[in-house]
Amino acid sequence: MRNSMKVARWEFKKNMKNKSFIISLLVTPLLFIIFSSLPSLLDMFKSESDHVKVYVQDEMNIWGSVEKILLSQGIDWDVQEAIKDENEMKEIIKKTENTAYISFSEDFMEQGKLTVYTNEKIDKDFRGQMNVLVQPLRELQIENLHLSQQEKDIINQGINIDAVSLSNDVSEWKSDPLKRLVPGVFAGIILFSIVMTGMMIFQSASNEKKEKVAEIVLSSLDSSELMQGKIIGYFALGITQVLAWILIIVPFFIWKNDYPILEYLLVPETLLLVFIAVLGYLLFAAIFAGIGATFEDMDQTSNFQGIVFLLPWLPAALFSPVISDPEGMIAQAGSYFPLTSPAVLIMRLSVLESWPWIEISISIIILLISIWLFMKLAGKIFKIGILMYGKNATPKEILKWLKY
Amino acid sequence: MTEPVLTVNKIGKSFKNKQIIKDISFEVNKGEIMAILGPNGAGKSTTIRNIMGILHPDEGTVKFHGRSAGTIPRHRIGYLPEERGLYKKVSIMDILLYFAELKDYPVKKAKERALTYLKKLGLEGKEKSSIEELSKGMGQKVQFIASIIHEPDLLILDEPFSGLDPVSQEVIKSEIKELADKGTAILLSAHQMNLVEELCDRLFMIHRGEKVISGTMDEVKAQYANYKCTVRGHNEKGILERLPQVQRVEQSGELATLYLEADIRPSVWLKQLPDNIHIQELSLSRISLHEIFIDIASDKKLWGEGEKHA
Repeated sequence: MRNSMKVARWEFKKNMKNKSFIISLLVTPLLFIIFSSLPSLLDMFKSESDHVKVYVQDEMNIWGSVEKILLSQGIDWDVQEAIKDENEMKEIIKKTENTAYISFSEDFMEQGKLTVYTNEKIDKDFRGQMNVLVQPLRELQIENLHLSQQEKDIINQGINIDAVSLSNDVSEWKSDPLKRLVPGVFAGIILFSIVMTGMMIFQSASNEKKEKVAEIVLSSLDSSELMQGKIIGYFALGITQVLAWILIIVPFFIWKNDYPILEYLLVPETLLLVFIAVLGYLLFAAIFAGIGATFEDMDQTSNFQGIVFLLPWLPAALFSPVISDPEGMIAQAGSYFPLTSPAVLIMRLSVLESWPWIEISISIIILLISIWLFMKLAGKIFKIGILMYGKNATPKEILKWLKY
Repeated sequence: MTEPVLTVNKIGKSFKNKQIIKDISFEVNKGEIMAILGPNGAGKSTTIRNIMGILHPDEGTVKFHGRSAGTIPRHRIGYLPEERGLYKKVSIMDILLYFAELKDYPVKKAKERALTYLKKLGLEGKEKSSIEELSKGMGQKVQFIASIIHEPDLLILDEPFSGLDPVSQEVIKSEIKELADKGTAILLSAHQMNLVEELCDRLFMIHRGEKVISGTMDEVKAQYANYKCTVRGHNEKGILERLPQVQRVEQSGELATLYLEADIRPSVWLKQLPDNIHIQELSLSRISLHEIFIDIASDKKLWGEGEKHA
């Protein structure tokens, strides 16, 4: 174990001194922030540049109340009173880009139909913004009917259909989906991050072969210590990546949103979810270490080793069926299959209010057994593969090594 | 007084059904340089890998003296494998310190030693460079330093001279000699027979996985290296072949090499040379290690007939 820790420290230090690793460590979360805030940034620029000029013919004298609602929704039109008659206004609109003409006439209240003339080139959001007019205009329409307050309230209320499924559990679900989601997403990020750095084990084992250092290193420790060291070292790197995410993204998230993230995060459930993520890492780390040791030539095109990089993405295919039906067949099967179970379990536990403890236990037991088995097999492949210089191993050779 | 550090006793190893090495036994003593020789594929690296515990012998034992049987005192051994390289993108000092750490050698001392040896081998000021910035020969020197950074009791060098220019070969040779003088037991394999002759105290030659020759350099020469007589002059090959105690003649133009039988006495043999032999130049010497090696590799078996090891 002491030797494994030396290797782990070495792998950690080697990468932390590597500029491209440091850059990716910091840039990934920054990119996440940039891309997640890009739409609102773009909106900001757009609303500054594209003020629609709206000519209003206000016979009913209602614009004052409508404008307040528009402003409260962040809609900022350049409103001008229409001083000419309808036909002349239409001509002006036709000739001038980004303009519109609204006429609140007596007819519109009775017919419930408002015609808005626009130039053919108009801000694409304008149509959506117009819908904001519906609610205040409808209220005015009702107002004009001179009904009692109670009648007005009933009409304003409309009809809502609320489907509630009944079960024995006391459901808090509707009250707070974030309670489960936040720890789940957190564990998901950890799983993603450590599995991604786990892929570097593949690279590291493969390089050790390519650079022919393996035999020198193995004169000081045995192959299982070397493999363990790599797995621990890259785990630490993955956790460092997670810390970078937390330090950069969480403050940003708290600043942008008002949710009490930390309160949601600091619950016992998070521990279990993180434990599952760590199990997921160990499983993939074993696969990457074993297969990486059989692989030397990255340029060789016909290699089956590339397939292992796809394995961690398997659960992505199950994402929508699992989320839409977290207790369904696919979700259950996914939690029992070791390659998908860490991610599928995390997905399910992020949306399920009451956790299926028996299923969770069985999944974890299957996962633990698989990790033990994969580590053992990877160890065998690693031991022989790491010293086989000069070519990539074929699946047939690897199967043979497993029999030793 | 010889003090054995390593004893290899009758080890054998097969891959699939093919016997790679068989019945290999030798000792390496403190302060001694022992050469393990043989043509490519003879089983030298397999023997070394069995000693290092990278492979496990099917039969026989490897014993490190002062240690309980079956344990390999890895931190007391320095190893330079035949297939070797170093991490390309890491600084030389970091690599050397990592290897020292793996051997449980104190960092501070390792740093001092690394700097001393870098200076000695002409790599002063390169400690912050990475291997990819160095030439192949410089890289080889760093690998050599990596194998001795922790002051090993036993140093195993698998072809330490391959890929080095003659100047660097000399530098490494004198370092090896110095280490042995300080008491390190050294086992090395090499193909440069001139260097082996100059450097090694004892040798062990294997061919097709089995021992063919072993002993101190003088013993081997006395026992296996017959005399050869080189004659420059106009002579027919047939006449030379008919001379007494001549096993074989190789002739190229005026230069003829006569390989003589094992038990000749040089002065007696020279006296009985007939008058009709035309001699411009004549020399009598023992067959060199290089020639013995070539003979073995090409199965000529020129040395004494009584030896039937191969």
